[in-house]
Amino acid sequence: MESKMTEKNIPHIIDSKINLDEATCPNREQRANGINVWYGKASDLVQEAKDGALKRQERKFQQTSGCVLNFYLTVRVGTIRDAAVIYHAPVGCSSSALGYRELYRGVPVELGRPAEYDLHWMTTNLRENDVVYGATEKLKNAVFEAQRRYNPKAIFIMTSCTSGIIGEDIEGVVAEVQPKIKAKIVPVHCEGSRSRLVQTGYDSFWHGVLKYLVRKPTKKQKDLVNVASMLSYTWQDRLEIKRLLEKVGLRVNFVPEFATVEQLEQLSEAAVTAPLCPTYTDYLSRGLEQEYGVPYFLYPSPMGIANTDAWLREIGKYTGKSKEIEKLIEDEHKVWIPKLKAIQDEFAKVKGDGKKVEVLGALGQGRLLAQLPYFDELGLKSSAAMCQDFDNLILGDLENLIKNVGDFDILVNTFQAAEQSHITRKLDPDIALTCPFQGGAFKREKGMTRIHALRGDPDPWSRQSGYAGAIAFGNFLLQSLKSNAFQRTMLEKTENSYKDWWYRQPDPLHYLVKEG
Amino acid sequence: MTKAVQAKAAPSVAEFPASDALEAPRYSCALAGAYSTAVGLYGTVPILHSGAGCGIGQLFGQFYGGGQNAGGPVGGTSTPCSSLIEEHVIFGGEKKLRNLVESSIELMNGQFFAIISGCIPSLIGDDIESVVKEFREKVPIISVKAAGFSGNSYQGYEAFFESLIDQFLTPQTKVKWQVNIFGIVPYQHLFWKGDLDVIRELLESIGLKPNIIFTRFDSLEALKSIPAAEYNIVLSPWVGHGTAEKLKEKFKTPFIAFPGVPIGPKQTSEFLRVVGKKLKVSSKTIEKIITEREQRAYRFNEYLGDILTLVRPHAYFSVVADSSTAISITKFLANELGYLPEIVQVTDDPPEDKRDLIQKELLETLETPVKPEIVFEVDSYRIRENLKNRNSLFLFASSLESPIALSEFGAIPLTVAFPSFDRLILEHTYAGYKGGLTLSEDFMSKFAGPL
Repeated sequence: MESKMTEKNIPHIIDSKINLDEATCPNREQRANGINVWYGKASDLVQEAKDGALKRQERKFQQTSGCVLNFYLTVRVGTIRDAAVIYHAPVGCSSSALGYRELYRGVPVELGRPAEYDLHWMTTNLRENDVVYGATEKLKNAVFEAQRRYNPKAIFIMTSCTSGIIGEDIEGVVAEVQPKIKAKIVPVHCEGSRSRLVQTGYDSFWHGVLKYLVRKPTKKQKDLVNVASMLSYTWQDRLEIKRLLEKVGLRVNFVPEFATVEQLEQLSEAAVTAPLCPTYTDYLSRGLEQEYGVPYFLYPSPMGIANTDAWLREIGKYTGKSKEIEKLIEDEHKVWIPKLKAIQDEFAKVKGDGKKVEVLGALGQGRLLAQLPYFDELGLKSSAAMCQDFDNLILGDLENLIKNVGDFDILVNTFQAAEQSHITRKLDPDIALTCPFQGGAFKREKGMTRIHALRGDPDPWSRQSGYAGAIAFGNFLLQSLKSNAFQRTMLEKTENSYKDWWYRQPDPLHYLVKEG
Repeated sequence: MTKAVQAKAAPSVAEFPASDALEAPRYSCALAGAYSTAVGLYGTVPILHSGAGCGIGQLFGQFYGGGQNAGGPVGGTSTPCSSLIEEHVIFGGEKKLRNLVESSIELMNGQFFAIISGCIPSLIGDDIESVVKEFREKVPIISVKAAGFSGNSYQGYEAFFESLIDQFLTPQTKVKWQVNIFGIVPYQHLFWKGDLDVIRELLESIGLKPNIIFTRFDSLEALKSIPAAEYNIVLSPWVGHGTAEKLKEKFKTPFIAFPGVPIGPKQTSEFLRVVGKKLKVSSKTIEKIITEREQRAYRFNEYLGDILTLVRPHAYFSVVADSSTAISITKFLANELGYLPEIVQVTDDPPEDKRDLIQKELLETLETPVKPEIVFEVDSYRIRENLKNRNSLFLFASSLESPIALSEFGAIPLTVAFPSFDRLILEHTYAGYKGGLTLSEDFMSKFAGPL
């Protein structure tokens, strides 16, 4: 348990204990000294973090990047199949949930998507009057309405900046209404203004799940493996993970996306909680161990061949399947290692001068830990990486990562498109891995492709996890080098968002307020 | 709480109090509407004074929902945002805003700047005007108060133009035959780009000088010249009316309102005749254009005669859309193709005093004895219930209905209204003479097969 050993040496994880008596989790700022702005050598970041020298700093120029509610939760919680979600918010806070009926519809039933399912959410649609007079009655009635309409197993209440600032008594509403309805009410304190780190949203969600939904284990399910999956893992990633674990007689409990409430309730009964993204799963994993003795590990994620091996071995340890896992790894290697070799050879040929193909990714801190070793495995070089935010939860793992792949530059920023455009142009990598959250950074002469697909994508081409994913994504990256027509044409033919001076000056953090 | 106690205390659901909570309303908030409006004006840089998630939330909801459109060079994560958090709630966000405006002007390519402030500054009482006035000398800039709780996307659009009129526009010499187009909210009205282009071309064809405002690369000039118009044309039964009223009051510009964007020859010819008459374009010019265009449109309509007649003639259909789209689509299908409207659900929450007009448009202009049931409904749960056990073979609605239309209602869906996650809409349009043909292509292709 690498991460847990290193954790003991880190004084700055101040809240390793989870307190479910509280209404919500601490912010990532308090819990793990999280920051969202930093640029320099990764080794320096580690040192500063160890010294407790990292500071939360302001930017003079900032771009919209996501809040605690509106980056992940609005598009995630509503996918829980037999639940309903109520946004206690003005109407705009839930507009990104409008795709709820379509999400996952593109997954063919033959691939295991249930034919019949229905998702539900409502907004209390807070207006001027509510802001003046309060809206707890409105919220209570909305909970009743959700019970009446949908008869769900759980009702999630998502809070907003507005409900927070006007001081709505959410816990009071829960206490009053819960005895009157069948569904379990799960308040999630995700006011956008509560934290500058979007990852606080994960923790606030898991806090609600741990506090209100997870049941005392009625039986231990020794063959059950909890896997918390993000929206950036596709249906095929699930299938690959399922394929591997089923080969050794294990079952996967995928939460929370597209899960049932029962799947959340039984989290306490699993043999182990395994990560896809360590910082996404962190709060849940710790909570399940603390409250119900479910062991966990946070590193590695099953990305790339070597890390998939290690991920499976960790699971083997906790499920008594080590022998079967070794056999599985051996069998899988016979299939996939030759394919990996072929991809490595192709990448080695790209530049033809013995130089490695350079890749620059913008990653969550979990993906940073997972993807850099994978790129290394493919024979790619990552001289730099962008990371949404950084906190001490990954400090030990980042240190190990540097040991394994060498030092690199790191730009910590949450979708700051101007900074990302700047560093992409400055470093000029062969492949820039991007997503719609980097503005015009994709417009360039060289390679560009997406960093990940989304959950509803059912195509094997889009997978990234496990052995099949390692090969698919390797080929996908090779394919991305075959044309630059789109990004080059857009670079030539469209106006840049920023003035030329931006690219001529050297510092992506030009607008950092230094006095902090 | 044990299960026994829960069960004992639980009253039946029928006894629960009524609720005005809404499942999936088909619009976003005032901030989203003002933001969409700014992003629709090329060269205008929106500056959000709000929480950090307000912009990206609208990228996912309002922009992707508006026909899978990206934010472009200044929308989405390219949009400057003050990203307010708790410490600003306590100490105020004015300093943060001042820094942001200053740096945005320094960094971003743009001709015009629009500060759009959301819920937090409104709740904490930030003095935004005091910040904006420091910059008025330096760049063209306005500030729009658009707290999310103050209204929906449509009202955000009006808020943008009201602020523009109050803070920026000055009287101009009237330009003969210049007309401005209002009532089409970017992104919220799925076909805004294509529709505006068709309207521009139509009006130019009869000699007018239309200012469609959006999608013009000289947006600053487009905005400044709004008071120079001889007339304002509003293409909605209620959206844009506030803006037109205010322009009338301040710059004495009269306006003509239409219930929607004209779809197909009948609506389009009527549109041209009414506009032409108001602006004193010779009827000879108008009629010449109408004759030419109608001749072509109906000659092309011949081509769909067989598939229509053999496969789905005089079919019942249902509509779920904003009032403007609902009216134009219903009239086109009923009056040009002989389809039978069964139920029209109007989803944009029009003000009470405009509802009679909308009803009238939907009932009295139809060339069929079959009149639709008309329901004003915002709640997607009730909208879904209202569609059950109907005869409609087609459902003209949004991508909320598309995935369930066949299995639950037995109707073939076509997404024509917000949200549209299942259609990429760039220039697509149903407006004008050709638009009716395009609409026919789109929905008939869904059942086309060997005849």
